[in-house]
Amino acid sequence: MQKFLARRAVSSAISLVLLVIAVFFLSRLTGDPTDLYLPVDASAEARENFRQIHGLNDPLYVQFGHYMLDLVQLDFGDSIRRARPALEVVTEAFVWTLQLAAITMVGVTFAAIVLGSLAAFRVGGLFDRVATFFSLIGASAPDFWIAIVAIVVFAVGFGWLPTSGTGTVWHWILPVSVLFIRPFGLILQVVRGSMITALSSAYVKTARAKGVAPRATIFVHALRNAMLPVITVIGDQAAGMLNGAVVVETIFGFPGVGKLMIDSILQRDFAVVLASIMVTAFAIFLMNILIDLAYGALDPRIRY
Amino acid sequence: MNYRTHLLCGVALLACAAPAFAAETDVIIALNEELEVVEPCMASQSNIGRVLLQNISETMTELNTDNGNLMPRLAESWEDVGGGTWRFHLRDGVTFSDGSTLDAGDIKHSVERTLSPDLTCEIGAKYFGGMTITPTVVDDLTIDITSDPAQPILPLLLSTLTVVPAETPIEFTREPVGTGPYVLSEWNIGQSIILDRRDDYWGEQPAVTKATYLFRSDDAVRAAMVATGEADISPLISQNDATNAETDFSYPNSETTYLRIDSNIAPLNDVRVRQALNLAVDREAFLGTLIPADAQIATHMTVPTTLGAGAALEVPAYDPEGAKALLEEARADGVPVDTEILLLGRLGNFPNVTEVMEALQQMFTDGGFNIKLQMVEVAEWVKYYSKPFAAGETPAMVQAMHDNNRGDPVFSMFFKYACEGLQSGICDAELDADIAAATGTAGEGRGAAWEKAFAKAHDLSADVFLFHMVGFSRVSERLDFTPTIATNSELQLSQIKFK
Repeated sequence: MQKFLARRAVSSAISLVLLVIAVFFLSRLTGDPTDLYLPVDASAEARENFRQIHGLNDPLYVQFGHYMLDLVQLDFGDSIRRARPALEVVTEAFVWTLQLAAITMVGVTFAAIVLGSLAAFRVGGLFDRVATFFSLIGASAPDFWIAIVAIVVFAVGFGWLPTSGTGTVWHWILPVSVLFIRPFGLILQVVRGSMITALSSAYVKTARAKGVAPRATIFVHALRNAMLPVITVIGDQAAGMLNGAVVVETIFGFPGVGKLMIDSILQRDFAVVLASIMVTAFAIFLMNILIDLAYGALDPRIRY
Repeated sequence: MNYRTHLLCGVALLACAAPAFAAETDVIIALNEELEVVEPCMASQSNIGRVLLQNISETMTELNTDNGNLMPRLAESWEDVGGGTWRFHLRDGVTFSDGSTLDAGDIKHSVERTLSPDLTCEIGAKYFGGMTITPTVVDDLTIDITSDPAQPILPLLLSTLTVVPAETPIEFTREPVGTGPYVLSEWNIGQSIILDRRDDYWGEQPAVTKATYLFRSDDAVRAAMVATGEADISPLISQNDATNAETDFSYPNSETTYLRIDSNIAPLNDVRVRQALNLAVDREAFLGTLIPADAQIATHMTVPTTLGAGAALEVPAYDPEGAKALLEEARADGVPVDTEILLLGRLGNFPNVTEVMEALQQMFTDGGFNIKLQMVEVAEWVKYYSKPFAAGETPAMVQAMHDNNRGDPVFSMFFKYACEGLQSGICDAELDADIAAATGTAGEGRGAAWEKAFAKAHDLSADVFLFHMVGFSRVSERLDFTPTIATNSELQLSQIKFK
């Protein structure tokens, strides 16, 4: 196990370094942040002064050298736009994204597994048809449309919920619900398909023949074996959310890392772009290890 | 506990989590962008200005946008003492929110800090470029400020400069201290900013006791927030959401849209070609369709309330046949009128900008021009808009929107029309002389001098002017507040009353 973790850590570190190098140089290709930071009427002197302060006059390899030297001391640089450490800016935003992703994915996982398993139990039955119908709609509906409609109906129309924001429990209901729909539809379909295969296997037939109760047959015997592909998809969806739910964050005013990353790219706030990518990449690296460990826990044949 | 007990407990918990009701004199304002900094010397940026300007941080003078007059704020009076020096007499008994008393040393520090090369302040870069400003303390309540070259409008320039205590370091602050009627109580980064009214403010106590600023990027959400009572003011909503006559206001937002012509390159260096471009545009057709009906057709670079911009200049009539005739005349004289002209638009610059640009392209084509339209992001657009122009030797027109809410054309005319102007597409000796003369004129003659410069730019058909634009705000019916041209850059809480 320790060897496995060490191997994963080394390979992830190499990937991270390559990612930093690529993003550093690619982001610089987008141009000079001076043009976007200063007003269009700013004098040439003010522009030159800005470049000097932020080290933008140095050759690119010198800027890169400075950046890497600072990075090994865990100094991610300062945000040009926000005039404070980039890592501080990113971690503040990432906490919001993490909460949003965690709440949503826990709900999605629980609901999709239960409903997907029940749908697979009687393929073609009423419950299966209804679940499949709604999950397909959920998987294909665009987030921004659902979000706006949800605000118009539940906030403006009925007045039950706030339109946006983060202040109370009520504020979380609409964004979590909107974020819930797409992964729920997708994971439910995967659970259903995987469970249909598992429920038709010999060991399940044996369990049924021995009189094991349907609930135990589904949730104890079949589900555990059906979970491997489901976990892969859950991991993929969770990774997408850790990168930020840009649409939901934008519409509901959630100060998450997805919107921060987009804004920083558009504003050429390079330190924040790089810090965002490293923080999210690190989180995804940790999540992938957890998924690998979950594989091992579910399938005794997998050993690290 | 049984199921019902669990349910009741859950409902009770959710009820506890509901937001507390705000006091009747509190207001909530929904802004379209999060504030990245709360630095007073960046208050020329719209949303920073809406939170800080004259609420937390005050200025020496204040522009009355209704009549263009300059009003006292922290300075009670001022006079020109000659040699480029103005003397300002400060108001006595003014205190900062940290309890310290305002004196001339604070003003000196504020000027030096804003213009410091160690701190990239937007106010310094935007309003004080190309001049040297030297503040000299005369006594506690008197300060001389000298500009080189001399600035007849130095008191107006100081309406942009926010005053901070002398102890404020030369780095961006996260706890702004000012002399204004409000103090920053909370800054929940990414979520909200809360200002509370000061009891020890030197002036009249405003009606609003507390202001909470929330940040929502989506236009429809900001409009919905006022509709549901979650917010009281959304200073900027889209035209499409401005559907309620009781709460939605349009206001001139001090922005002027135009096409900047690079007049140094053929065929655009021929005045007949530039006149033809102006004749080819059916401006009336845009109003009420792609451009809000309340917008005004522009003949000047600045809004009509700006000094010298009130005089009527002729709007070029829509005359595509006349445009063609002018082009034929130019062609006969050897002007390469068939050369492809690049029409460059800025994506997202204002609502419907892409459709407006497509319509313009068609109008120019109908007028006999060979036009290629290209829409680009702001980062790319800046390269075409400011010198050296990225279009190089390609004849080009760049769509832009210029904001001048300061009441004087000096903030526009040099940059846009002088030979050395950073965004100027024209170089004309007479126009240069007119701009220099107006810039150096003080007092009564200044308006007439600018009027002459505007007329000259108009005669040269230096640009294709389009519209003085309007913005839309939504204001709760419980408030007595009407947005004005100033709402584009500030939102003085002291101007908000309750019905």
